[in-house]
Amino acid sequence: MSSDSTVRGAASDAGRDMAYNAVRDIPYDDLKAFEGRAAAEAGIGKDLVNVPMIRHWCEAMGDTHPAYAGADPIAPPTMMQAWTMGGLSGHEGRSDAYDELFGLLDGAGYTSVVATDCEQEYVRALRPGDEISFDAVIESVSERKTTKLGTGHFVTTRMDIRAGGELAGTHRFRILKYAPARRKPKGKRPRPVINRDNAGFWEGVAAHRLLIQRCGGCGELRFPWLPGCNACGSPEWDTIEASGEGTVYSYVVMHHPPFPAFDPPYAVGLIELAEGVRIVSNVIGVPYDKVRVGLPVRLEFQRVDEELELPLFRALGGGPPFTSGGEPFGSGGEPSVGGGEPCAGGGALVEGGPGGALRVGEELPALEIPITRILIVAGAIASRDYQDVHHDAELAKAKGSPDIFMNILTTNGLIGRYITDRFGPTAVLRTVAIRLGAPNYPGDTMVLSGTVEAVDNGPDGVTAMVKVVGTNGIGKHVTGTVAVTLPPGGTA
Amino acid sequence: MSLRTRDGLGGKAAIVGIGATEFSKDSGRSELRLAVEAVRAALDDAGLSPADVDGMVTFTMDTNPEITVAQAAGIGELSFFSRVHYGGGAACATIQQAALAVATGVAEVVVCYRAFNERSGRRFGSGVQRREPSAEGAALGWSLPFGLLTPASWVAMAAQRYLHTYGLTADAFGPVAVTDRKYAATNPAAYFHGKPITLADHAASRWIVEPLRLLDCCQETDGGQAIVVTSVERARDLPHPPAVITAAAQGAGRAQEQMTGFYRGDLSGLPEMSVVAQQLWRTSGLAPSEVDVGILYDHFTPFVLMQLEEFGFCEPGEATGFVAEERLPLNTHGGQLGEAYLHGMNGVAEAVRQIRGTSVNQIPGAAHTLVTAGTGVPTSGLILGSDG
Repeated sequence: MSSDSTVRGAASDAGRDMAYNAVRDIPYDDLKAFEGRAAAEAGIGKDLVNVPMIRHWCEAMGDTHPAYAGADPIAPPTMMQAWTMGGLSGHEGRSDAYDELFGLLDGAGYTSVVATDCEQEYVRALRPGDEISFDAVIESVSERKTTKLGTGHFVTTRMDIRAGGELAGTHRFRILKYAPARRKPKGKRPRPVINRDNAGFWEGVAAHRLLIQRCGGCGELRFPWLPGCNACGSPEWDTIEASGEGTVYSYVVMHHPPFPAFDPPYAVGLIELAEGVRIVSNVIGVPYDKVRVGLPVRLEFQRVDEELELPLFRALGGGPPFTSGGEPFGSGGEPSVGGGEPCAGGGALVEGGPGGALRVGEELPALEIPITRILIVAGAIASRDYQDVHHDAELAKAKGSPDIFMNILTTNGLIGRYITDRFGPTAVLRTVAIRLGAPNYPGDTMVLSGTVEAVDNGPDGVTAMVKVVGTNGIGKHVTGTVAVTLPPGGTA
Repeated sequence: MSLRTRDGLGGKAAIVGIGATEFSKDSGRSELRLAVEAVRAALDDAGLSPADVDGMVTFTMDTNPEITVAQAAGIGELSFFSRVHYGGGAACATIQQAALAVATGVAEVVVCYRAFNERSGRRFGSGVQRREPSAEGAALGWSLPFGLLTPASWVAMAAQRYLHTYGLTADAFGPVAVTDRKYAATNPAAYFHGKPITLADHAASRWIVEPLRLLDCCQETDGGQAIVVTSVERARDLPHPPAVITAAAQGAGRAQEQMTGFYRGDLSGLPEMSVVAQQLWRTSGLAPSEVDVGILYDHFTPFVLMQLEEFGFCEPGEATGFVAEERLPLNTHGGQLGEAYLHGMNGVAEAVRQIRGTSVNQIPGAAHTLVTAGTGVPTSGLILGSDG
């Protein structure tokens, strides 16, 4: 059990800019006593599995998998939890034990809640007309832990979900009931250092033009800006506008120490422009751990706060180049997207059928998802999650969050979409297990990437275990593992 | 023109005294007091008194004015006082300044010093977030809005390119760290006395700025170090064997920057150190094979590799193996990774001890030591030799 002093110690480790709201220590035995008790008993889904809710979900997630539409659709497997949600009118079938546990935690000051882990196994597909029933047990309650969000207790529940009385899937869910850390507002990026010698560069940035000095004497292009030419000494110069094309000449990944405006780890690149001069900037549109020397990039101007716009560089192709030498796993010689070239964001790996050539270590093309406010809200509502932190910025701020953030069900749904997009129309999700990290706030971009970690040829077809990582501007939003099966014999 | 011809400074002056405070993480006293303590200790070591001193040299970054150190150390009139710019790049250049003054008769006894509370006070490692709009501020300013804010990050940018150029991984930096810590382990003055590391420890240490790990970074330190320089003739009458300044040089490359030299060249070397190396070899008449001990500036490990290559100890891209095979005794005090980060001045002191034969990790018969100053900035270097 933690004493107050150990919590304070942990807090200072978690981040020097935080303090914690007052909480009362709950004897751990009191919490432990809830383990094994029912969290929900004989719960009944408020609606039968139905086409409109499936369609709303697919619209929110941008999921166009053919199995979820048409005359005989199935529900997206990652939607499983949504059928058990109480929605706006609240939960029914929750146990006394669950309410007692939450009352105890609320009363001690752990008033906020965030989902951290979701592990789902899909036993059979849910179809329109299925009646959902469920039971859940409180599996464990953790000792007091301190995280970046705040200090609190993890509560893990396991739910069996039935359709017409038949087991359809299991769902393990972990939440953190916590007292939010009081955060200082995020600092602004360091300002450019502007003086009479380089003001023209920043005037160019304001006009969305990246200007390179050109010597009036010898024509040499130069960067950084200086009032004379190192090649010939001439003070005469004019400017040319950079085309915006470039490549990463070198880069670093910043981990330590933290700075108010940045959330490590983050990458800083040295970009060699097509014109031959170099400039320090950030590489966007690719996770920090996928920036590489030689990566092609293109200029983009981005407003980083009310006063500052910066020239940044977007990785071309939506993801890193394939590194494994050959074609990505495709079916029987059929040409597939990629082929050693940087891969376009939307391509499926498996165009026509089951992947006999799935290879361990193969990297899936990345998927870039802009985290818009409407995606967060639509995802929350489609998953019947009416927690205020997913739609009301003011209330989210009151609970210690800088803004609304994406709920775990939406993340789960997006990962389901990513995998079935990449594995094609016949792909069947078996399990999805995810852990959340850095929240998805509006205005960010999440890049999902995946790596095949294991391949198993079974009677149901080829099953791949895929490690999935979703990175946003502040770190890793999600890490997880998905089991996906490509049935034998092709089309769905 | 010493860039093109052998200079006339070699062999004129010698280091006769070295003195330091303890190296710590929190000195508990002012930077001025650290400077004065180090100066007194160095004069005692030299067998000289404050009254003998007529010249003082320090870094532009030092907060302790020459006149104030003199005032508090009992030093009287000064005929020579000078400062050298560019952070740790000044270290060996302070000795060059002293030697120039002594050789020309501008001063007779010059004390060079550097003292700071760099760990408990202003830590360089905590980074920079704003600069004044001077030319120098503007030069750094190109990197700041993008979050490239720390010395480690500025070095890492070149280090990443070095690894790319030669097809290496971040493990290539391990042997430098292991070597420094090996010597620190047997140096009671070192922060990491008794704490050697392995390559596996290096590879397992956490990232600071990829490709640099924690164990690639120097020990931020509180302390002071002073060095006394006089003529070789006078040195022969003093208690310790003179460490003769066989050659001393400064170097800046074309289109040189201060830590942000990203815009020219291939980033896999240190052009400014090449300028230093050419002068040191020419003036000393020595070759790499004749150097007995190398004290190479090691705020971050990658630049030790590049220095070995610039000085011609090995071919470009091959320094990791050179260090791993211990083909040159390197940083025998433990370096700035293992002993202390005194902006390179503690390295000068170790080079002197090797010439005197008094290092805790003495290399038998050491007759020529090479010392270098801060890398990634305009820099300097020395070759010290035994007398006669």
